[in-house]
Amino acid sequence: MSAFDGMITGFQVALSWEGILFVLIGVIVGTLIGMMPGLGPISAIAIMIPITYGMDPAPALVMMAGVYYGAVFGGSTSSILLNAPGISGTVATAFDGYPMAQQGKAGKALAIAAIASFFGGTVSVIMLMLLAPALSSVAISFGPPAYFALMLMGLTAISSLSEGSTIKAMISAVAGVMVVTIGIDPQTGTQRFTFGNINLLDGFDFLIIALGLFALAEVCMLVLNRKNRSLSDDQKLGSLKVTRADLKEMSGPMTRQSFVGFILGVLPGAGATIASFISYIFEKRISKNPEEFGKGSIKGLAAPESSNNAATSGAFVPLLSLGIPGSGTTAVMLGAFLVLGVQPGPLLMSDRPEIFWGIIASMYLGNIFLLVLNLPLIPYLAKILSIPRPLLISLVIMFSLIGVYSISFNVFDLYMLLVFGALGFAMRVFSFPAPPFILAFILGGMMEQAFRQSMTISNGNLAIFVNSPLPLSLILIAFLSLVIPGLLKWRSRRKLAKM
Amino acid sequence: MLSTINQRIGLILFIIAAIYLYLSFQLPNYPYAPIDADVIPKGLGVLMLILSAALFFSKVIETEAEKAKRNIPKKELLVLLAVFAMIFLYILLFEAIGFIIMTAVFIFFSSWFLGYTKWKTNIIVSILFPLGMYAIFVFALGISLPKGILPI
Repeated sequence: MSAFDGMITGFQVALSWEGILFVLIGVIVGTLIGMMPGLGPISAIAIMIPITYGMDPAPALVMMAGVYYGAVFGGSTSSILLNAPGISGTVATAFDGYPMAQQGKAGKALAIAAIASFFGGTVSVIMLMLLAPALSSVAISFGPPAYFALMLMGLTAISSLSEGSTIKAMISAVAGVMVVTIGIDPQTGTQRFTFGNINLLDGFDFLIIALGLFALAEVCMLVLNRKNRSLSDDQKLGSLKVTRADLKEMSGPMTRQSFVGFILGVLPGAGATIASFISYIFEKRISKNPEEFGKGSIKGLAAPESSNNAATSGAFVPLLSLGIPGSGTTAVMLGAFLVLGVQPGPLLMSDRPEIFWGIIASMYLGNIFLLVLNLPLIPYLAKILSIPRPLLISLVIMFSLIGVYSISFNVFDLYMLLVFGALGFAMRVFSFPAPPFILAFILGGMMEQAFRQSMTISNGNLAIFVNSPLPLSLILIAFLSLVIPGLLKWRSRRKLAKM
Repeated sequence: MLSTINQRIGLILFIIAAIYLYLSFQLPNYPYAPIDADVIPKGLGVLMLILSAALFFSKVIETEAEKAKRNIPKKELLVLLAVFAMIFLYILLFEAIGFIIMTAVFIFFSSWFLGYTKWKTNIIVSILFPLGMYAIFVFALGISLPKGILPI
């Protein structure tokens, strides 16, 4: 099937009444949850997963994708209005968005963010449409060793790119794989670390981890910050109008950073947060008047906004064509696929074209919906920011509990949710990044399987990972991605010592 | 000896890794697999031992921002503990008493406890939310939630 035929199939899914309805639901829910400071896209996706039980996979996944990019779109609103980023991908948006809001130009800032997001999202979907099928057809020949190496690279990349200490990020990743080993080993049937508890035989469902480590832990942070201000009723947004001169000013950064964002989204480990920071710094470096940045520059607002949305669609490239998520958020997206019985990967394009192309086609639609929703409706949508924190906290707790209960109807899982919530909170308090944990948890089982398959092929010879060029180079990249940042730090420290 | 927080965490993780490693050596053998179920856990255990030791001996100094995150007033920790206790009670009772009643009670009391003073809105949300969720899950999605003592 050519890309053209594929897109026709895709639009048949996306433009059916079901498709339109679920894209709309997805982007609205995503925008609303993304706006809430403290609740990120991982929580948004995890909270919505139980709703998809029993749904047709194509519309369900179209909706989940909408939740994801909708959350990134919506996160900018609270960055601009409250200087409290809705999600980590929109931290850089606040640098210039919040100063603009303080100058009474909140409406304009929101409109610029919406246009830049739309642009970045759309450019990125076009590239996704071109790149994902190509990568799928290459990946179809990958054997277990290459898959193992790819996943290893994903884990080392996310560890070395995580905020703060690399050691802590690696501990987080190893702990994630350790948790997967609990339960019956699928290959030999050996019970591992179950302590004779029948509730542990099947291991932990990923939703328990995602909702505990993210939604519940984020609730704990909300409890601590519950007295932070929410949007006051009298805050004026000002005109939403964007002039032709503004558009001209933002067109350069928007175009450049859509590409930067897309590439960073495709690469493992980076994603929307890193993309938005890099784009912001990029534009500031090449700007003729960098002193304007941070004081309400239109360029400084448009750059991270087009970049983070472009990264979001970019992240779907490895997810759809390799079946390997590159970030914590896409790891939870992979979970959403698996819950619906869909295995993303190189075979998805030929086996389930309606899903593969349906998701891509729906993203065009979703981005248009988001633009239309955000431009005229933003003053009304922003009202959700005035939901009192205590009520919000109680409701999110309930969503998490219902979500976990509806997978297994097992109260034991609810207690485990509480345990992982406490763990997630402790990780935040002691600066251990949580995304490597969830990525490792999702990849862990697949990695172990790929490793053992490789060893079966090679009769127990580890050389299988270095004998062919692809696994070898991937493992080298994985190794270097851990070592190079350390070396750079060491060198700069030595330079400092010499000075 | 245990002067920094990283050393304390490193030690705790080291102990956990050692227990995990010990348990992986207790795993039964399965004679017909080239790579048995204990290989990956053993590798992970060793890796965790190394990483926790690295954390223990790392000279990285905690940044101010990291310190600030760690500095939570006792009173706030008690509030969090109380919220966890409320969730615990909810889990303990909701199958017996039922989803709708327990959810309404939970939302009302936890919102009130966390400082929400508009009790009229609170009552309305506490009643409408569980009814709405129950309708969506039971009637639209076909996922049954515990009825408990209510007849419906």
